[in-house]
Amino acid sequence: MTLAGDDRPESGGDDLFAAEYVLGVLAADEREIASRRIDADAAFARLVDAWEARLSPMADAYPETVPPIRAKEALDRRLFVAEPRAGLWSSLAFWRGLAAASVAALAIYIAVPYLNPPAEQPRLIASLAADGSDVRYLAVYDAARREVGLSHVSGERAAGKDFELWMIEGKNAPVSMGVIPAGRITHMIISPAVQEKLAQGAVLAVSLEPAGGSPTGQPTGPVVAAGDLKSI
Amino acid sequence: MKAHGAPGAQERFRRCNTMQWNKLGQLPNLGNCLIWQPMTPQDISNLIVRTSMKDRAAFDLLYRQTSAKLFGVCLRVLKDRGEAEEALQEVFVKIWTKADRFAVSELSPISWLVAIARNHAIDRIRARREPAAYIDAALDVADPAPGPEAAAVAGGESGRIYRCLDELEKDRAAAVRGAYLDGESYAELAARHGVPLNTMRTWLRRSLLKLRECLER
Repeated sequence: MTLAGDDRPESGGDDLFAAEYVLGVLAADEREIASRRIDADAAFARLVDAWEARLSPMADAYPETVPPIRAKEALDRRLFVAEPRAGLWSSLAFWRGLAAASVAALAIYIAVPYLNPPAEQPRLIASLAADGSDVRYLAVYDAARREVGLSHVSGERAAGKDFELWMIEGKNAPVSMGVIPAGRITHMIISPAVQEKLAQGAVLAVSLEPAGGSPTGQPTGPVVAAGDLKSI
Repeated sequence: MKAHGAPGAQERFRRCNTMQWNKLGQLPNLGNCLIWQPMTPQDISNLIVRTSMKDRAAFDLLYRQTSAKLFGVCLRVLKDRGEAEEALQEVFVKIWTKADRFAVSELSPISWLVAIARNHAIDRIRARREPAAYIDAALDVADPAPGPEAAAVAGGESGRIYRCLDELEKDRAAAVRGAYLDGESYAELAARHGVPLNTMRTWLRRSLLKLRECLER
């Protein structure tokens, strides 16, 4: 269907046609023509780019909206279908690279309680590590249990210091999830506010703090390990 | 395959490490290092280039850094969350497969990404079957309040284009904004403004030429 009738877009010249394409006012068939010309005609593509550049400051008005984590999961499935359950297996490969085989056993040990979840709540996993640090944690977030299970893979805290776990969401300041109890495997209960953010796929980070945790509510020591939560 | 754990996170923190921690040790305000700094356009460019080389870690980080903006674009144009999610995935599939084209574009990286998202979302609404129902829906949800636009002007980034829009007649400037931000077609704009389609076409073409003249002044 051509909305233009006699007044064909080309009649305004290529430059106006490019402008109309960028502005977004053309009908489907006209956009199709423009899109083919962009691929085939470098001069026309430059006209389109010039209009994109002219009008693009208006795009500042689009508010940022964080998409739900399922959108990225669906995208990964769409693009990387050749690697079924890539998240889990690539993570497994990563852990093996990190430490001895016992790590895998520990990982399974803490993951086992989560393998038969009571409800279809998201379960997310993160490998926490950082350059210049031998501290490694494996974190499993179980929304149904409202807790994060942590397996301490390697790296000791200095005397009189504690490891504190932080959640970082987007560009916001880190939110403390508490001091990580000593031990190879620990569980930390998560507050409802933090749960909601975690479900969106936040970053977890571990910082070295004075015994008892950060006195300021923000990390005061170096980040010794960090990682993205990914779904299993 | 490399950097499976958290390439994004580690990359951001490493930068912080070299900037402050090594030099200063453990000062109280080091917490600032943990905050995600907005990436520079150069950072985003690098991620697009690495994505064109099928670097999945770079692609993941690019998604983390830009998906909120591109989702905002899809939502505003499509006005339907489910469809916007679908469109966002298709947009990133395009980015993954066509990232090499960024090299030959003269656009800034974020403008290049927004253009992909806008064009895709607009193609999607044009492909919808029930245009009449769509127009009603668009009228219901269209937000004529200049809130974000005003904020953008206050921020100075896009002040120039809005000054140039101000030189147009009010309803024509509104039509340009509606077309750009909401992806409204000539037919929809004509219906909304109560003028014949060809009148709307003439309005907008003249407005575009005036805009260009103003921007290049």
